Amino acid sequence: MGENTRVTSGEGKQYIVVGLGTEQYGIDIQFIDNIVRMQRITRVPKAQSYFKGVINLRGEIIPVMSMRLKFGLAADEYTNATRIIIIKLEPQSAIGIIVDEVKEVVMLSEDVIEKPNYDSNDEKISYLSGIGKHSGNLISLLNIAAVIIEKEAI
Amino acid sequence: MDVSQYLEIFIDETKEHLQSLNEQLLILEKEPDNTDTINEIFRAAHSLKGMAGTMGYKRMQRLTHDMENVFSEIRNGKMSVSAHLVDVLFQGLDALEGYLAQIQENANEGEEDNEEIIQALNNILEEGLGGGNQTKPAASAETKTEIKAEAVHIAETQSNGLEKYKDFVFADYERHAIEKAFEEKQNVFGLTVSIVETCLLKAARAFLVFKALEEMGEIIKSVPDVQDIEDEKFENDFSLVLLTKCSYDEVRNAVLNVSEVKDLAMGTIELEKEEEEKKEQQADSNQSPAQSAAVQAKKEKNAAAAAKQAAKPVVNRSVRVDIEKLDVLMNLVSELIIAKNGLVSIGASEGDNKNYSGFNEQIEYLERVTTNLHESVMKVRMMPIESVVNKFPRMIRDLTKKLNKNMELYMSGEDTELDRTVIDEIGDPLMHLLRNAADHGLESNAERVAMGKPEVGSIFLNAYQDGNNVVIEVKDDGRGIDVKKVKAKALEKGTISHEQAESMTDQDVIELLFRPSFSTAEKISDVSGRGVGLDVVKNKIEGLGGDIECRSVLGEGSKFIIRLPLTLAIIQALMVELGAEKYAIPLGSIQTIEDIPSEDIKYVQTREVINLRGKVIPLIRLGDILDVEPIEKEDTNLTVVIVAKGDKLAGLVVDNLIGQQEIVIKSIGKYINNNKIISGATILGDGEVALIIDANILV
Repeated sequence: MGENTRVTSGEGKQYIVVGLGTEQYGIDIQFIDNIVRMQRITRVPKAQSYFKGVINLRGEIIPVMSMRLKFGLAADEYTNATRIIIIKLEPQSAIGIIVDEVKEVVMLSEDVIEKPNYDSNDEKISYLSGIGKHSGNLISLLNIAAVIIEKEAI
Repeated sequence: MDVSQYLEIFIDETKEHLQSLNEQLLILEKEPDNTDTINEIFRAAHSLKGMAGTMGYKRMQRLTHDMENVFSEIRNGKMSVSAHLVDVLFQGLDALEGYLAQIQENANEGEEDNEEIIQALNNILEEGLGGGNQTKPAASAETKTEIKAEAVHIAETQSNGLEKYKDFVFADYERHAIEKAFEEKQNVFGLTVSIVETCLLKAARAFLVFKALEEMGEIIKSVPDVQDIEDEKFENDFSLVLLTKCSYDEVRNAVLNVSEVKDLAMGTIELEKEEEEKKEQQADSNQSPAQSAAVQAKKEKNAAAAAKQAAKPVVNRSVRVDIEKLDVLMNLVSELIIAKNGLVSIGASEGDNKNYSGFNEQIEYLERVTTNLHESVMKVRMMPIESVVNKFPRMIRDLTKKLNKNMELYMSGEDTELDRTVIDEIGDPLMHLLRNAADHGLESNAERVAMGKPEVGSIFLNAYQDGNNVVIEVKDDGRGIDVKKVKAKALEKGTISHEQAESMTDQDVIELLFRPSFSTAEKISDVSGRGVGLDVVKNKIEGLGGDIECRSVLGEGSKFIIRLPLTLAIIQALMVELGAEKYAIPLGSIQTIEDIPSEDIKYVQTREVINLRGKVIPLIRLGDILDVEPIEKEDTNLTVVIVAKGDKLAGLVVDNLIGQQEIVIKSIGKYINNNKIISGATILGDGEVALIIDANILV
């Protein structure tokens, strides 16, 4: 929670940079509850294809989704660097996101963030809240709520 | 200190008073001469007014004041209770509830003046008393004289030691302040306020008294001092000295307006007389050590009482817990610790003499303790259903007027207890069913008479406990469901095919009413008399782990039966294996477990069924439904778990049985979409997650 207050008081926001395939994504740190290593996932039948199942995190049942599958990339290959990022948008409902690796924490101020061009035909663009520039690299900043909350009807 | 910390109390109490007003008004409507009821109403209205006033809610106060005037006239026998009068009073109560809702939202009563209701109340007063414009002042004069009469009454009883303020010893600076007040022609009053013994939050009451008085003048002295009063370190009364420009009556009314003030002794303080008393006081001081010891003892008692009161929380999501239940919990926890110590000592004994029978004994002991603990915690979470259903008589009364049908609501089993979360959720579905019964179920009075039924329709709301379930029935003696019409409608809408219609039993047809597609149909209520949002009701009840069914006899009425589990969080379940995965099936829905030779499987319309003791039961291959990777099995026998939902049975084919286990139900969150087959998850002893299958969905 300490970071939480620091984020708002600083000149920018803190993002955790994660690697997914060849790209880098940034997740606003205020939504992140925890980062855990890959662990045994219990499959949930009939769930959306990108949901890998649920895990037991210290007595709490947390659904876990694969970012790769959600973004239409190749299926995950679990390595030593694979992590589950636990996101809490609301106090009672956590959700885990599987990423290839967690790289670093960066501080991005408003002036290095570019807004993405809005295109209503492209669903995936709504997953992004902006593009951040950091030491020569581009980081796609995730609009985490849009990624998590189901839009397409099944 | 500010008022906001008393907001919770205010809201709680206002709710209670409003509920009691609602109930009493209903009684009053039936028995206009019941003096007990009238007195009760008057008392509740008076407390409400006082509370609203002290909290600074002027509009609310004004409305209650005008209502109180009407009650006062009824009490004095100057007005009779008419249907119109009760209507207006109910409107008034609704308006008060509106204020309360506003206050709950943002601590502000809002801008609504409810002039119409006030006007209507005043009109009633005028008509009832046959007087002109003078009525209102006359009415308030009336109340004033009453209070004065009370004052006289109190003055008479004052000799029994309530005038503690007379025993005040003033310090020099206090004398100075009093003298100065005399010079400025201010009144100096001594007050001794006593609070009803049963009052739970005496400090809050005292604070409200202080606040009311501080608005009028200056309090220069109080016994016990303010700090002690705030900490509730006082018996049932406290005394103070007030410097004010307000009159005796004004001060008196302000104090008496605070609810749960039992008595008030009040008088003007004169300094000369005071000095004599001071001497007397000194003479008395020899006695004081003994007295103070007594006071000390009383204080301790008070602290104990305060601890008890702490069990009554004032925040929103809270449960009032019986202190005995907490004691039981405490005992169980200490037993838990003993059990743990027993295990530790067995673990510590090294070598060959490890006592395995002792170990098993300890495990059994632990099991007993945890089961009891579970039961006790559940009991703490239980609440009587009364808090939900007590608003229904009022609702039925309103419906009587609105639908122009005479009907009567009979309730039983209001003390049946249910889990707190269920109580919170069950109100809306029940209201829905009652409305349906009143609106569509019951015929109009004329129709009823023509059919030879009693003119007044009856609606029953019965609750009772049945094993591990609580059953709530909503029954009416109305026209019942016309199965033929429902069937015709379903055919017309294409919900069912003609072949299906042929083979459907009446019960199957009634089940159709719970289908979502049915309830959205506009005309269905004309056809069948049912169907408004029944799917919503069903969803809600199933969400609570319960189920609902409907029985109906054409022309005689219908009955909705809601079955809810007593406890939500922990259940007994059968653990089964499907392939390499583990699943839990709640024991409550399991009938039997059968070993079926595979050659006994028959086919009906290409579906697998078995004939079990004369009953044809469809087979469901759980593994296929849940997309489990099949494992090779040579077995010629199938393990079939027979589950039931109401009268319907189904056989779930599983690969392996693990055993019965007590499991803790956890939600799998709202993000995963799983067609409801999975109702939750649980964590097994080894930390693995097992999913819970909702057999009701499969049957």
